[in-house]
Amino acid sequence: MQYEPTLNRAELIALATKSYFANVDAKNMDGALACFNDEALFCVQTAFTRHAGKSAIKRMFEDFFGAYASIVHKDFVCTVDEKNGRIAASFEAVLTGHDGKITQLFNTNFWRIRDGKFQEVYVYFSGENVLV
Amino acid sequence: MMAEWNEGGAGQAALPYAYYIDIVAKRYFDGVDNKNMQQVMDCFTDDAILTEVTSNTVHTGREAGIRAMFTKLFADFSDIWHGNFVHTTDPDSNAICSQFTVLITPNGGYELRYENCNRFYLKGDKFHRVHVYMSGDNLLKEGDA
Repeated sequence: MQYEPTLNRAELIALATKSYFANVDAKNMDGALACFNDEALFCVQTAFTRHAGKSAIKRMFEDFFGAYASIVHKDFVCTVDEKNGRIAASFEAVLTGHDGKITQLFNTNFWRIRDGKFQEVYVYFSGENVLV
Repeated sequence: MMAEWNEGGAGQAALPYAYYIDIVAKRYFDGVDNKNMQQVMDCFTDDAILTEVTSNTVHTGREAGIRAMFTKLFADFSDIWHGNFVHTTDPDSNAICSQFTVLITPNGGYELRYENCNRFYLKGDKFHRVHVYMSGDNLLKEGDA
């Protein structure tokens, strides 16, 4: 879907890496959810999984936040399509379980922005899907 | 050319916006779908590396790694189609990330559907690093010796 672009390059990068991932890593549910439109779609393409609407996305994050003692996303390489309101980023995710077990992932996300918030999010995992 | 190259790194010369979409959709995947090896190879630098991330399979070098991989792919599958592209195109970082559907049929088998993405990082006007994510089993295997 094509949406009218409203954010510039720096704003797109800040939305994806600061407003979104910094709040995910802090387990700040309100902050993370504030990045999404109410009817947003969150799709894990490598697992054919889709979470439709903010309430479903909230439920997904509740389980994700509860499943790990710490969540870290880092080393972002951003690809920014300012003309089309899209951004993609590769990154490393380091998830530490309550038993100390560490899950390391090298994922790629694609975000499509509508009215300054995520309308569609697509996640491609290097390993098993943890956003169930 | 800059002394040190990094994926999406600073100091690269931006090409026209349409160049990125054309090399991905009209040259690279058109070449793959039509099994036109030379057209595919012409998209890569000599020392390009293609990584299938979901299985951590690394194909190093255009000839030794990538050509061998495509030789096997073209031999093992009767029909290959890439489409439904959505591109995230970034001339400023000399990169393009593409989402797409793959319909692919093994010889004598049934059609498989994948929802994949690729991240392409260019050096000059060719692919230098490509990262592939697949929604199913890796189909980009090492070439046969």
